[in-house]
Amino acid sequence: MVQYHHRGCHRQGNHETVGENKEKRPKFFINDHVDILIEILKRLDCRSLCVAASVCRLWCTIARNDSLWENLCFRHVSPPPTSVRSVVLALGGYKRLYMGCVRPVRSRLGRARRASWARDEVQLSLSLFCVDYYERLGGSNSNGRVVGESSPSSLMFLCKPVNV
Amino acid sequence: MKRDHREISGATDYSSGSGSRLDSSSLGNSIKGKLWEDDQDAGGMDELLAVLGYKVRTSDMANVAQKLEMLEMVMGTAQEDGISHLSSDTVHRNPSDLSGWVQSMLTELNGPPTPNLDPVLTTFDSNSSNPQSQSRDFSDDSEYDLRAIPGVAAYPPPKSDSDPESTRKRVKTSMSSSGSDGYGPDSSFSSPQENGIPGAVTESSTRPIVLVDSQETGVRLVHTLMACAEAVQQDNLKLADALVKHIGLLAASQTGAMRKVATYFAEALARRIYRIFPQDSLDPSYTDILQMHFYETCPYLKFAHFTANQAILEAFATANRVHVIDFGLKQGMQWPALMQALALRPGGPPAFRLTGIGPPQPDNTDALQQVGWKLAQLAETIGIEFEFRGFVANSLADLEPEMLDIRPPEVEVVAVNSVFELHRLLARPGGIEKVVSSIKAMKPRILTVVEQEANHNGPDFLDRFTEALHYYSSLFDSLEGSGVAPPSQDLAMSELYLGRQICNVVACEGMERVERHEPLSEWMSRMETAGFSPVHLGSNAYKQASMLLALFAGGDGYRVEEKNGCLMLGWHTRPLITTSAWRLATAETGAMS
Repeated sequence: MVQYHHRGCHRQGNHETVGENKEKRPKFFINDHVDILIEILKRLDCRSLCVAASVCRLWCTIARNDSLWENLCFRHVSPPPTSVRSVVLALGGYKRLYMGCVRPVRSRLGRARRASWARDEVQLSLSLFCVDYYERLGGSNSNGRVVGESSPSSLMFLCKPVNV
Repeated sequence: MKRDHREISGATDYSSGSGSRLDSSSLGNSIKGKLWEDDQDAGGMDELLAVLGYKVRTSDMANVAQKLEMLEMVMGTAQEDGISHLSSDTVHRNPSDLSGWVQSMLTELNGPPTPNLDPVLTTFDSNSSNPQSQSRDFSDDSEYDLRAIPGVAAYPPPKSDSDPESTRKRVKTSMSSSGSDGYGPDSSFSSPQENGIPGAVTESSTRPIVLVDSQETGVRLVHTLMACAEAVQQDNLKLADALVKHIGLLAASQTGAMRKVATYFAEALARRIYRIFPQDSLDPSYTDILQMHFYETCPYLKFAHFTANQAILEAFATANRVHVIDFGLKQGMQWPALMQALALRPGGPPAFRLTGIGPPQPDNTDALQQVGWKLAQLAETIGIEFEFRGFVANSLADLEPEMLDIRPPEVEVVAVNSVFELHRLLARPGGIEKVVSSIKAMKPRILTVVEQEANHNGPDFLDRFTEALHYYSSLFDSLEGSGVAPPSQDLAMSELYLGRQICNVVACEGMERVERHEPLSEWMSRMETAGFSPVHLGSNAYKQASMLLALFAGGDGYRVEEKNGCLMLGWHTRPLITTSAWRLATAETGAMS
């Protein structure tokens, strides 16, 4: 999407007769305008965002920014109260919320989804996310967070393939 | 070709050699003419078969029919083992002597038979025009599911006190008619259909037994379980003992949920018979672990937590200080979700106080305190003011409301929560009344109760047994459908968790039998008599529950129902657990919505 934009600008720059210099090189390089880049990346879906993260280091950094994932989580939902953010960040961040809870919930419910359920989906995801955090708290780990293969199982049912 | 002229007109061929030629035009007439006439001729041979060249005595027909079917089944199974030896090694007898031939085939395949079958014969083949002689009559339908278990078991074995030493062969369910030649097109010997295969099962003979297809065995298994329970009820322990062993063998031929359920029930029955009662004082932390796995594998506990939390959340409304008393804290898995919901409440979170009650730990570790600490960490993370107290009690009836430091209702709003705890109190007289009056003394804004939806507390053992069989069969079925891969530890632990309940329901009595489940109707009348009025769980709870269930792999099997304002979760048509909410009938301040 950005490349298209880039190409457009490139062409535009090439055919620009009025205005700045008549260099063949494009004047507009997206990486110089990080704010625009962020606006664009904000609107991507999960898969495209992950692909974008593989483009270059700058994009990778931006794509990992939690606020992008916040948009993903609340995409079809009216913006949540600000208190949600602090809670979610404390529990592990939006990316984790999305990957762990929102995405499987949405895909599982995809068959029987109704638009009015979008908000409830997010709420359910938040609850499950909190339970998940709580489970990760336990165990012999002193620092309280267990990350990795020994991931807690209360979200296990979300990770299992659906029996169709 | 010899032609014997019989009384009936028409040329029929009674030659004893195989491959007789028939006069086809007269054949139809003669057969039709023969069907309803008295056809006992001098030789006693069945004339219909004789037309085709087989000599079978009419009196032998039943016997031969049964043996033919057994032979087909055995051959069907034996294909796995290889019956090629039959084609090369066997002495081929004259198949026109059908009885002898079948006998010799069976001998080849099965080993030496006993001369007469002395079993309890059952037949489900209503198509057979030669009903087997049977000492017991079943009125069975071919479609059989557990809900149609007859109230009276009709399957005792003929002898009761000898050990069954039967070898068994498992038979595949689908029988393609192998080699229809030689059996004739006669409809009375049609190849067995799936539901129509009779089998001979003996308790105490050495005759090798050919089991029929597993659906059939499933029905037989259920019958045997019922018979054993009845024997236990009648204190006929010898019979029960023999039956229990039989159940074990039958269960081995099943797969999946049926097998596990049967195994657990058989074990429980055995315990009851031998009076080896399970240690009830098992490590509570072990029980907790089992329950955790149950929590993770299937949605029942999650459903319970989410629906109860929703009711509590709505009851708390805009209160500033809230206090939850949890009658069975266990690992505290219910509370993170509630705390998160409170944290994101529109007006900001209240101060949250949790009192958790739990059983004493054998090694004196303070499990309650550990859970409280975890919850405190969570509370700090999400920004809620949190306070925790743990109480150790052997039984909820030991609890006094004064111990709990309840603050007056103007200061804090109280909610009492009980998930699968109240039914235990029915074991001791006066227990439930004491607890209910304690609850009333706590003056809760709401009381949430989650209980199993089953009647496992009747006075009659056989009734209890039947109910439990249905209930746990549904539960195990839902576990099977949960999408968890079979050799998973979670699944095994969940099943063990349920298995211990089964053991308690069946094997224990008196104070030890704590799994005294009662259906919603009983609980409702009990609560209403005690002075509580129901609070309807709203549509939010219903929506959340439905969504939660849709997330589970076996999602199509689970059903949420609303009944009298309570939510029931079930598997297909059978409700299994119920969440209900209550408030004091004389609540002065603020009606519930």
